[in-house]
Amino acid sequence: MNGRSRTALIAGAVAAVLFQVTVRCTSDPPPPLIDTIVYAAVGLSFLVAGIAAWQRWPASRLGLLFTIVGYAWALPSVGFLPYAIPFTIGNLTASIYSASLGHLALAWPSGRLRSRFERWVVIAVYTWNTGQALVSMLFWNPGTSGCGPGCPANLLLVDGSSSIENAFDAWSVPVSLTISGIVLTLIVRHWRAARGWSRRTMVPLLWISIAVIALSVTQTLAANLNLPLSDLALYGIAPLILLTGPALFVASTLLARTAHGAVGTAIVDLGSEAPPGMLRDALARALGDATLQLAFRLPDGSGYLDTAGQPADPARPGAGRAVTPLAEGGDAVLIHDGGLEHEPQLTRLTAAAASMALEHSRLQAEVRAQLEQVRASRARIVEAGDDARRRLERDLHDGAQQRLVTLSLALGLARNRAEASDPQLQALLESAAKEAREAIAELRELARGIHPAVLTETGLSGAVQALAERSPVATTITAVPPGRFPAPVEATAYFVVSEALANVAKHAVATNAEVSVRELAGRVVVQVSDNGVGGALPDAGSGLRGLADRVAAVGGSLRIDSPPGRGTRLEADIPCP
Amino acid sequence: MVIGAGPVPSPGCPARTVRGSPDAISAIRGDTGAVTVPAAILVVDDHDGFRAFARTMLEMAGFTVAEAATGAEATEAARIIRPRLVLLDIQLPDVDGFEVARRLAAKEHGPVIVLTSTREASDYGGQIRSSPAAGFLPKDQLSGAAMRRFLAQDPA
Repeated sequence: MNGRSRTALIAGAVAAVLFQVTVRCTSDPPPPLIDTIVYAAVGLSFLVAGIAAWQRWPASRLGLLFTIVGYAWALPSVGFLPYAIPFTIGNLTASIYSASLGHLALAWPSGRLRSRFERWVVIAVYTWNTGQALVSMLFWNPGTSGCGPGCPANLLLVDGSSSIENAFDAWSVPVSLTISGIVLTLIVRHWRAARGWSRRTMVPLLWISIAVIALSVTQTLAANLNLPLSDLALYGIAPLILLTGPALFVASTLLARTAHGAVGTAIVDLGSEAPPGMLRDALARALGDATLQLAFRLPDGSGYLDTAGQPADPARPGAGRAVTPLAEGGDAVLIHDGGLEHEPQLTRLTAAAASMALEHSRLQAEVRAQLEQVRASRARIVEAGDDARRRLERDLHDGAQQRLVTLSLALGLARNRAEASDPQLQALLESAAKEAREAIAELRELARGIHPAVLTETGLSGAVQALAERSPVATTITAVPPGRFPAPVEATAYFVVSEALANVAKHAVATNAEVSVRELAGRVVVQVSDNGVGGALPDAGSGLRGLADRVAAVGGSLRIDSPPGRGTRLEADIPCP
Repeated sequence: MVIGAGPVPSPGCPARTVRGSPDAISAIRGDTGAVTVPAAILVVDDHDGFRAFARTMLEMAGFTVAEAATGAEATEAARIIRPRLVLLDIQLPDVDGFEVARRLAAKEHGPVIVLTSTREASDYGGQIRSSPAAGFLPKDQLSGAAMRRFLAQDPA
């Protein structure tokens, strides 16, 4: 049904309700005002419920059925017109609405009847309802019973003797009750079969059913057993109870809208690190479906496992269950209460939210993995660099330095042997020997800068000792473990001490420095502090930035505490596997 | 610390011949008691060029010189020759100089051990201090005079 015909249908129903009000108010004598208001309110409530149903379940026929009930409710009011034909029609269709309500109840929530049997039941309800009214009209003389002399004629009247009418009424009551019982039984069966979401959507239906049955039973019993109840109470006020059904439905529709929000809130509350199990729980809570399963395809494609580790089969979700795929290619699926199928917006929203949450965790996992790779490769690059520098220092030591030393010694020897009579040669050899010595000294410094031999030779304790001894600022070593550590740890710790002491000498204006290296539960903690001017900034182009990078490359962290005027304290925390 | 944890040659490994003939060895033993017999120095270094130069320089300074290129050769030569002084490079291809120094010092009346390297003493941290060597001499400061100073410190 398209939007235009819906609008027409609803407009027609509204017109019918207005017409109902008009004819009731203009009839002579008019029924009590309260009666008219109740009738109009109940009719309107079904129309509003119809609009809500169309909004909420666009694919369902429930909106149409609600609207039909609205029409059926308004139609009998034509009987208030002072003409025979509308009077006859009005009385003939006085309780047709209850058949429509039965239809609505059995077709809940899809608007379609579930089985051939139920279709027969609905046909029987309509048939009995109209047939009973028709038969009773054949024997009802409005002039003699209830309506008064000004009443229009009953065009269907065959025999006005009220005894036949009464006999038929007495006989029809058990049949009415039986049919009502069957409908009620079916509704209860639907209710029992429904779970979670579906069951909650049936609450308004149950109310309508109970209300209609209570109303018609009361009216029937009152009419047949002459109970002391006024017509105003029975037909004027009591129908108000019917209003509860549509009202509840409209309320539950509004609640369903808040469920949309609940899904969003659930995802937001979940945070970014939540495992799929928590996602499932959050969705189950938001949808009120405790049986909700979030299942993932196994990597080998052999089946699905849900978040509880149980096998799941999306191809056969079970009775009353439905499957909504989440990820592309169906790698993840939601298996949920089938009733959610009637909430396409909510289902779409849930699926989108869950997909986003899953995609988010997947991306996070991917980023984490990439970060781990980058970390590992950064550590490898630093290690490879250290290795290369160690080799280079070794090569310099074994090659060029060795030769230069021999050369320098040879020059010294040659100078000593040179004839004293040749002072020019002596001077030449002397200056050559001096050059060679300087070259050796420079090469030694260069080699040390490339990689400290002392670190390779003696490990951290010897190397830190050597740094302290070479430092121009008086440096105390308060602790340094004697053992050896993995080369990257030793190199990083060494560079921290070396760079820190260099900074102390260059910038701190300190008279004392203190170095400590401690091994604590799988970590090596290096601390260098001085009593200088402080105010060191890690970003101010100092070597501290590079040092922080260097420490981070092996997964460690560098902290600098340098309040102006109160010295500098540098702490590197290096993981030691 | 891994000091001294270098590989030890297996007993089956054929030691390289000690440079210097048996006659020369007996001549340089210096165990005749005569003060005039020149002191023997064993130069231990895997660098051929340096060894040759050290031999020339020290012989010119009046010492008798034997050579060894590895730690294993050094202990073997020291056992045979019993030199007064061993000029011992720290960086050797088999075991490091510290380990060789420990082995030599373990013997009674061991030689004066002078560690040497192209690196500086500070590059070896406390290892030089804790070794039984008499001292350290940077290679570029090698001279007969330096050798004599070390020998003069030796109470033997």
